[in-house]
Amino acid sequence: MTSHADQPNVARTLTGQSGGEIPRDDWSAGRGRLFLLLVAPSVLLLVLLNAYPVFYAALQSVRNGTLISPGEFVGLSNFAKVLQSPDFWHSVRFTAIFTVSGVAGSWLIGMALALLLRAGVYGGGTVKVLLLLPWVVPIVVSSMAWNWLVATPDSPMPTLARMLGFETPLFLADPLLAAITVCVFKVWCSFPFMMLIMSAALSGIDRSVYEAASIDGATGWQRLRYITLPLTARTTYISWILMTIFCVNDFPTIYLLTAGGPIDATTSLIVLAYRLVFQNFQTGPGVAIALMMTAAMVVVSLILFRQIRKSGGPA
Amino acid sequence: MTILSSKLARTGIVYGFTVIALLPIGATVLLSLRPRPGTDAIGLGFSNFVHVFRETLVADWLINSLLVSLFTVVAAIIVAAPAGYVISRGRNKLVQGYSLLLFVVQSLPIITAVIPLFMLFARLGLADHLGALVIIYVAGSLSVATWMMAAYFDTIPAALEEAAWIDGCSVFGGFMRIVLRNSLPGVLSTAIFTFLLSWNDYLVAIVFLKTDTGFTLPIGLQSFFQQTSTDWGAVMAVSVVTMLPPVIIFSFLNRYFSVGGIGGSLAGQ
Repeated sequence: MTSHADQPNVARTLTGQSGGEIPRDDWSAGRGRLFLLLVAPSVLLLVLLNAYPVFYAALQSVRNGTLISPGEFVGLSNFAKVLQSPDFWHSVRFTAIFTVSGVAGSWLIGMALALLLRAGVYGGGTVKVLLLLPWVVPIVVSSMAWNWLVATPDSPMPTLARMLGFETPLFLADPLLAAITVCVFKVWCSFPFMMLIMSAALSGIDRSVYEAASIDGATGWQRLRYITLPLTARTTYISWILMTIFCVNDFPTIYLLTAGGPIDATTSLIVLAYRLVFQNFQTGPGVAIALMMTAAMVVVSLILFRQIRKSGGPA
Repeated sequence: MTILSSKLARTGIVYGFTVIALLPIGATVLLSLRPRPGTDAIGLGFSNFVHVFRETLVADWLINSLLVSLFTVVAAIIVAAPAGYVISRGRNKLVQGYSLLLFVVQSLPIITAVIPLFMLFARLGLADHLGALVIIYVAGSLSVATWMMAAYFDTIPAALEEAAWIDGCSVFGGFMRIVLRNSLPGVLSTAIFTFLLSWNDYLVAIVFLKTDTGFTLPIGLQSFFQQTSTDWGAVMAVSVVTMLPPVIIFSFLNRYFSVGGIGGSLAGQ
């Protein structure tokens, strides 16, 4: 088992399980003041640009203002309005579909690639770098490429489908197809991230474990089922939570491809909030949705923190 | 499973998938290099690039994007490195709490911050301004940048600092001369992460920027596409300009490329 003690390890740092060997609570007069000074800009930014906006959003959510006028106090009616609107529930449903398919699809592909690369592939190093490209290329650029591939009846993909004898599919104009296209696009953007995380997890499993299993007559499938999956379970779980956060908070992947259409088929919560605020000038309901999302994400991130703390400890 | 035990078969599967996965990116590059319609040039060339640099504001957008990313990276390191040092070396209950707070902030939907910040900046007359973007990108990358720095500082033995203090070096001097100087790879990783975040952002830019000469590349590309959606050669030329900096940085520095600051560090546990 290789020790990662000399490698930077965010998980351990984050949860206070590693650190400089300087006595921990050494906030003696001189150093304590320096520490406060060093951390001050970071705290200031956090308060001004993260905490204050959330507080301000909370204020806006109980008023009927627009982007320019503060409006009047209307209590919780914005939340009531949102929770009673079918559009909201439709967005909740699409956000769930988008997230589940994004997490499942990107993990399955990422994990499969990580396993193949780990088992050995000619030129594996180069291929791995190439496979990371969909994740490095700016989303606006990928959306242009995908648009070119599928948008009109004469685009390459519909043309290909026609040649194979199908009816010309309208990838971005048919509600069901558009939803599928957006989800596939998300998987395409995200599988490299999963491949990286799972490759890192697989590289932590000692090969001798597999050798021992082979000697005992384990088949390839059994090795995957009883060794690989259990030993990478925690990383898998963390990667799922992370990807959930990414998918729920994802705006450009959907907005650039379909702008939430056709007829709202691909309107996720964040697209709905954006539209309400910046296109319909209904700040209250838009902010109310953003706040509900925020509350949900805080819960998810605390679960993630606990998982990382468990995994960050001595293996 | 038996087929997968052959290295050649595995290579075939992975290469096949790679080719399909890279089709959209390959198409982008290829279309940008095709001759412009109306010219009788054949083969591949840069006529689309000449056209977009002459006829559109792409040069302005490129400069804006470079400026925003540069300032974001520098400011993020200046804020995150000292904070990371405190998290690494001055750990107590309060610092642990701050670390958790940074973590929670990281997962908040950016729209929650963008809406109020836009209202505030608009009131101050600063909304349509690249500086506003820099401030928000620094705030948005603060959490991950701070942990990345702290994780790297954790690998520098504290004995080095203590030796320097004995030699009469101040604590701050120890941080600057010993810890920071030995953490260049960590600084580089953090810089790459921050660069990608600011270079690729779409949501903040689309909300804040209104004047076309002040656009960053993603917004510029999007607006150009909406005006000329059939001139694919030109659209793809702007696309290539947009993706070139991150791809170049990535190809040369992928050693320093860590998964959003978290992924690689979960290895083997």
